[in-house]
Order: sequence, then C-alpha cells, then structure tokens
Amino acid sequence: MLFISILIGCILGAIVGINVPIIPYTYSSYLAIAIIAALDSVFGGIVGVLKREFDIQVFISGFFCNSILSILLTYLGNKLDVDIYLAAIVVFVGRMFLNLTIIRKYYIDKWSKKIKDKKTENEKA
Amino acid sequence: MNKWTEAIILMIMCFMLGAAIVIQVNTVNNNGTTNSSNQEESNLKSQVLKMKEKYENQYEELEKISKELEETRQQATSNNSELEELESKIKEDNLILGNTDVTGTGVKITLTDGKEASQLDTESLLVHAENVLAVVNELKNAGAEAIAINGNRVVSTTAISCDGNVIIVNGEKISSPIEITAIGLSEQLATLNRAGGTLEYFTGLGKIVDFKKSQNIQIPKYTGVYSFRYANTK
Repeated sequence: MLFISILIGCILGAIVGINVPIIPYTYSSYLAIAIIAALDSVFGGIVGVLKREFDIQVFISGFFCNSILSILLTYLGNKLDVDIYLAAIVVFVGRMFLNLTIIRKYYIDKWSKKIKDKKTENEKA
Repeated sequence: MNKWTEAIILMIMCFMLGAAIVIQVNTVNNNGTTNSSNQEESNLKSQVLKMKEKYENQYEELEKISKELEETRQQATSNNSELEELESKIKEDNLILGNTDVTGTGVKITLTDGKEASQLDTESLLVHAENVLAVVNELKNAGAEAIAINGNRVVSTTAISCDGNVIIVNGEKISSPIEITAIGLSEQLATLNRAGGTLEYFTGLGKIVDFKKSQNIQIPKYTGVYSFRYANTK
C-alpha cells in the first residue's frame, strides 16, 4: 500500500507540474537545490527502511528541513556572493552516493545469500 | 501514527517532489539554458536571464502605474470643463510625442537582405541603416503620422544608426527582416512604391522589398523617456 501511495503521489505531482505555470528563472536555482535536498532525504529514507530503523517523523522532518535550510543557505550565499549552494550539492549528492552504495550492498548480500542457500540445498539433495 | 496517515503523508511528499522536479525541468527548458561546462559562461547566461526578467517585471509595473495615473487623472478632471480641456490637451500632446498606442490606415514595408548570389556587390544586398533612414524620411515626407521600425516607435529623438551587422533604433538592436509600419493616408504613403522611387531602387540593388497597404496598422507607443536637461524654454 505504501508503494501504491508513493506511485500515485509521483504521478499526480508530475501531472500537476506539467500544468502549472513555470516559475521565474531567478527562483529556479532555489527550487533545484530544494529538489536535491529532498531526493537526498528520500534515499536516506530508503536506507532507513532497509536497516529497519525507519522513523516516519525523522523522515518527514528531514525532507522539509533539509529543503528549506538549503534554500535559505543558497539565499544567504547569493547575498554574500559565496557559492554556498555548491557545498550543499556536494554534501547532498555525496550522501546520495553513500546511500546508494548501502542499498546496492544490501541487495547484493541478499541475492548472494539466496544463491548460496539454493546451492547448499541442491548439494544436500 | 497508523499505516493510513503514513501512506497519505508519503503521497503528499512524493506529490511535492514530483511537481517540483517537473516544474524545474519546464523552467529550465523554457529558458533555453543548456548547462554549459564553463562556469563563467553559465554564470553570465543566468545573469542575463535574471536581468531580462527584472526588466520585464519593472516594465509591467510601470505600465500598471501609468494606467493608474490615467484613471486618476480622468476621475479628477471629470465634471470640470476647464480641467477637461487640459486633459484633452494632454492626450493630444501624448499623441504627438508618441506616448500612446495608435491604430489607423497606413502601410507596411518589409525590407529583407537579398539572397541573389549573382549580384557582384554583395554589400548592396544587405539592408543598411541608411536605407531604413531613407524609407523613414520618405514616409515622413509623404505625411506619415506615426512610424515604427520593428515595433520601435520613431519619435523626435530617435536615431537610426549602424552597429556592425545590426541596426540600432532607439537603442535597440534590430536586424533583417526590418518591418517599417506607418500610419497616414495610405494612398499618399503608397507613393513610396512608385516607379523610380526609393523602394524600386532597393529592389534593383537586390534587396527584397515587400510593400503592403493596410486598413488596420497598429503602432506601439514609445517605450523610452524624454529627458531635456539642456534645452530651456525662454
């Protein structure tokens, strides 16, 4: 049921996004950084599910706080003329890769275990 | 928190994320920004886009405010014959200055760079600033009341000058095809198209000239500002 709701949310979001007027270019860099932050939270959430320590409250607060904080930092960077958004991108994307590694390892372990089990079963038989 | 609320919250979050991604992609596509690997270049590009947006916003605001001013003036001058007279005088002056959009009968002349390769002198194929100037001069001579070049109103302070491969009118760069619209008695303006006239001369040089009479020519107002700092009235 969770997966269905996620799927419906994504599809609805895409449909609404297509029909909504585009935002001014000035704000598109803020939206971009917010998207990266949100995606990072999503990957973090997936890892949490795999590790069985997923907490919906942590996930939701991370999703929104990361997005808003990254937007604020980008804004501050614009004011100070420092490319703070680069730091945010490095952190978020770096974490995304780490989380992807964890996800990948989890599934590789799972499958290799399965194959091993099958082999031992075959040998026993 | 039960399963249902969790599902709904996740759905809302995915909805926001999906919408944000699609909006962002649309925005970037619309602005034609290709992410250049050159940081300097993409910075400049985004700066230009931001400036353009700022200009558009300011212009919109200006338009709104001038409309408000007009309304306020109208309200203030109604029921007072003396002021009404002044109001109509202001309107007339604005018409002369080119501060209002105007419509009427007139002509539309389109000058395009020629493409004939047989022409020996390729320079004469191109539409130059002097050519545009000549046409504008002829139009004025034929009694045109309002003239615009590619949507740039020709007013008393307008300069038409050459700037390399573009022509500058009112400080704005334009290039071929150049569309000159004029309002006036269209039969009179049509004399530009006479045999041996300027336009025929241009055609002879290999430029492409299109001449059209029209009952409904629309000419936009002058978007610049008049500033007189040195000329004083006695």
